[in-house]
Amino acid sequence: MAVTGQSIVALLPELISTGFLILVLLAGVFGGGNAGISTGLAALGSLAVFASAAVLLATSFSGSFFGGGYVVDGFALYFKLIIAGSALFAVLAAARWSGSTGDAPEYLTLILSVVLGATLLVSMRDLFGIFLAIELATIPSYAMVAFDRSRRESAEGGMKYLITGVIASSVLLYGLVLIYGVSGSAQLSDVAKTFTGSLSPVAVLGLVLMISGFAFKLSAAPFHFWTPDAYQGAPTSAAAFLSVGPKAATFAVLLRILLEGMPDAAPTWTAVMAFLAIITMFVGNLFALRQRNVRRMLAYSSVAHSGYILAAFAALQGGGTAFAVQAVLIYTAAYAVMNMGAFLVIDLVGEDAKSYNGLVRANPAVAASMGLFMAALVGIPPLAGFFGKLWIIIAGAQSGSILVYVVVGALVVNTVLSVPYYFGIIRNMILEEPTTETGRKEGDGAVRFSVYVLAILTTLFGLLIIPLSALAGASGLL
Amino acid sequence: MITTITILIPLLGAILMLLLPDEERLLRYAALGVAAVPLVFATYIYFAFGGDLGVDALSQDVTWIQSLNIGYRVGLDGLGFGMFFLSAFLTVIAILASRDVRRNLKQYFAALFVAEVGMLGVFAAQDLILFYVFFEITLIPMYLLVGVWGDENRRPAAIKFFIYTFLGSTVMLAGFLALGILADTYSMSALGGGGGLSRTAQVAIAAPILFGLLIKVPAVPLHSWLLDVYVSSPTSTNVLLSGVLPKLGTYGLIKVAIPLLPQGVEPFLPYVAAFGVVNIIYGSFVAFMQPDLKALVAYSSIGTLGFILLGAASGNAVGLNGAVFQQVSHGLYSALLFILVGVIAARTGTRRISELGGLAARMPWAGGLLALGALAAMGLPGLAVFVSEFMSIMGGYTTFPVQGVLAALGIILSAMYLLYMLARVIFGPIERPAYEQIGDAGPAEMVSVVPLAVLLVVLGVFPALLIGVQRPAVDVVLSVIGGS
Repeated sequence: MAVTGQSIVALLPELISTGFLILVLLAGVFGGGNAGISTGLAALGSLAVFASAAVLLATSFSGSFFGGGYVVDGFALYFKLIIAGSALFAVLAAARWSGSTGDAPEYLTLILSVVLGATLLVSMRDLFGIFLAIELATIPSYAMVAFDRSRRESAEGGMKYLITGVIASSVLLYGLVLIYGVSGSAQLSDVAKTFTGSLSPVAVLGLVLMISGFAFKLSAAPFHFWTPDAYQGAPTSAAAFLSVGPKAATFAVLLRILLEGMPDAAPTWTAVMAFLAIITMFVGNLFALRQRNVRRMLAYSSVAHSGYILAAFAALQGGGTAFAVQAVLIYTAAYAVMNMGAFLVIDLVGEDAKSYNGLVRANPAVAASMGLFMAALVGIPPLAGFFGKLWIIIAGAQSGSILVYVVVGALVVNTVLSVPYYFGIIRNMILEEPTTETGRKEGDGAVRFSVYVLAILTTLFGLLIIPLSALAGASGLL
Repeated sequence: MITTITILIPLLGAILMLLLPDEERLLRYAALGVAAVPLVFATYIYFAFGGDLGVDALSQDVTWIQSLNIGYRVGLDGLGFGMFFLSAFLTVIAILASRDVRRNLKQYFAALFVAEVGMLGVFAAQDLILFYVFFEITLIPMYLLVGVWGDENRRPAAIKFFIYTFLGSTVMLAGFLALGILADTYSMSALGGGGGLSRTAQVAIAAPILFGLLIKVPAVPLHSWLLDVYVSSPTSTNVLLSGVLPKLGTYGLIKVAIPLLPQGVEPFLPYVAAFGVVNIIYGSFVAFMQPDLKALVAYSSIGTLGFILLGAASGNAVGLNGAVFQQVSHGLYSALLFILVGVIAARTGTRRISELGGLAARMPWAGGLLALGALAAMGLPGLAVFVSEFMSIMGGYTTFPVQGVLAALGIILSAMYLLYMLARVIFGPIERPAYEQIGDAGPAEMVSVVPLAVLLVVLGVFPALLIGVQRPAVDVVLSVIGGS
């Protein structure tokens, strides 16, 4: 297992994030309590990871390293871009808040560790490597959720997240071990050789346990119950980042395991995914309808959107496979921009739905951005979310399976079902009279800047879609 | 290229509105100036290319998403041109009639212009996905126009409107996607005649598309979102809401459902015609019972939309031409009536029919034009609505005799409630002493209604002005569906 120049280039994003992670910690020790230095370093680090992944992608760098356990391809690099990009906005959003806690370097280090774990994760082709990378990405995220010591909910959310997360990890590990036991190898290519024909009961058990473990991590119903508490308690930047960056990476690695490790078992796992998708969409939307707290509403909305992405997983069969892979790529990117934006607006306005009343008069630019995010989350064209759903519906229609048609039908129904709660915010912002609460929060420039940039990305997603779908076509996964 | 520019000018106008200083006179003149540009372009297109709208100068075809064969494809044809022109025309009228809007004027005009982008775009789109995108672009500005600037009941009305029509359009999109996937293109010109799909597939796809379009029209019994929205809206929003938006549904029927899925819609056509008749008869009866003048006009508008459905379903030259024409004439007369209701309500302070009476004595011009609008609505010869309703009934009768006869009965019903309304509102003794003091519609109001009345008369006397433009496109549809 020689370390060559090639393999160092392949590991560039990970090496950069490790380097900056150490630098930020050192800045904490020697920086004399100046949060600005560590924030700058963390932002620079995320940018550097983004840039390195972009350069690798632009030069079509690809290959398999370290005995085939680590792979660089268009697919992995694409997700590294999403992870690093969302981390950058998370750092910007955390700048002032983490400075006020006095522990900025520690918090920012956690963000960079999640980046490290998630970027490793999307490149892993080895079952145990995957498990280690997942843990590397999740363990810091428990701390991120519980980081706000001034609020009790933060500790409570962190605790719930930790306990369910640990259970999920053990279920996942159990599943992976069973799969390893059946196939005698942890390499996905070897696993693929044994997951053919009719599966042995142990193999099915391993598959189901593994998917359940992932369902926990992806907050898919019925394993979603930690999500609202964790996202409500977490600092805004943590909720915004964890709901898009590491989650996208988890979707990516699940896609890789299923497509590379068990393509012949597709009839089994697409059926499981179809049921998960339907339950998750309905649970997410029906619970979101009842929320008055915007954080909880967005948490349930993230459950619902997990369901939409799982619908693309259900369509990974027949003629729909290529489009379903594209759908996952496009949807995760779309969800990253629109959901991150919506979460960051909470920092500028507040988490009570009433604090949005009349916002359009108090702060028209923020209100317009929030309106765009909400409309995009519904899937109104030509905003970001529309294209994600478009691709999922197309993939589903081409899969040629009745069960997937039902899933697509459920997706259409759920889209309409989600209108009242997203538009409830728009209604409050525009139609209600301002209260004394409106626009009470100050919010700093970095958050404002991030929100505007994300709003522009949400709006212009239709133009980004051309390069994105081209990238997705060259993903290397198929 | 001209078409694209015409569609995009209102978008620039919307941005301009938001940048201008908050001064009422300036905003009104600027909005009028911006709105005039698409109208001038549409008029130019009529005179320069009216004989042959299929020229390259009017169309554009740029691939947008390669892997799905979705493109930015726009172009004009006789089916859409009338409504394309009317959208530009009614936007000007709406701005002229927007005197009742005083709050947040710049945002109001901006929303109006964004809606105009969607309306112009729908009638020019030649790609299914683009059609859907423009279809939805109208939704949010309309939601805002009703929800922000409407009366007390505006909030539930606006959200109801949004959810209903969003449900319809989402279901319609599912149908579009199924069609595009099976035929491997979303280009309307390539899809003509069913795109090589089997009859079963066409029927399965036509069902969701028709459902979505009929909600938009709305066809009774899918109309329950409509009344609150119409009654709550400011007058100028009503002009677009009744003049243009229902035609998004009927135009989709004539432009998309029928020619692209000829075998698929065939089993549904008798029911579409029956929906049309139900609209006509139900609309008339319910209009008769309305205590509120605006609600009466709203139901009258639902009723006469039924003729479009009947004519479109007929599948023959007379009926289809009538349906395409009726889209325009319906827009003209309903806009006229809604503006006049606004004028009357502003003078008298009420819209209740029982509290009005004898207004002709004090408001000869407004009263006279109201009478003209009402006579147009009941299909008086010499006015545009007569031509189109007559053709729709004739065409409908040829194909579906029962529905045709019932629709003709509907004209009598509409005469009943409209004459009753005229008798109560503008004729008879003056109902209240206060009405002795009110004045006639002023020049600012006349300028928004007189063009509508003039066009109603001109198109009534010279229907060939419009039919000549639309006939080639109708013939194309007929050749696809095998009608005569």
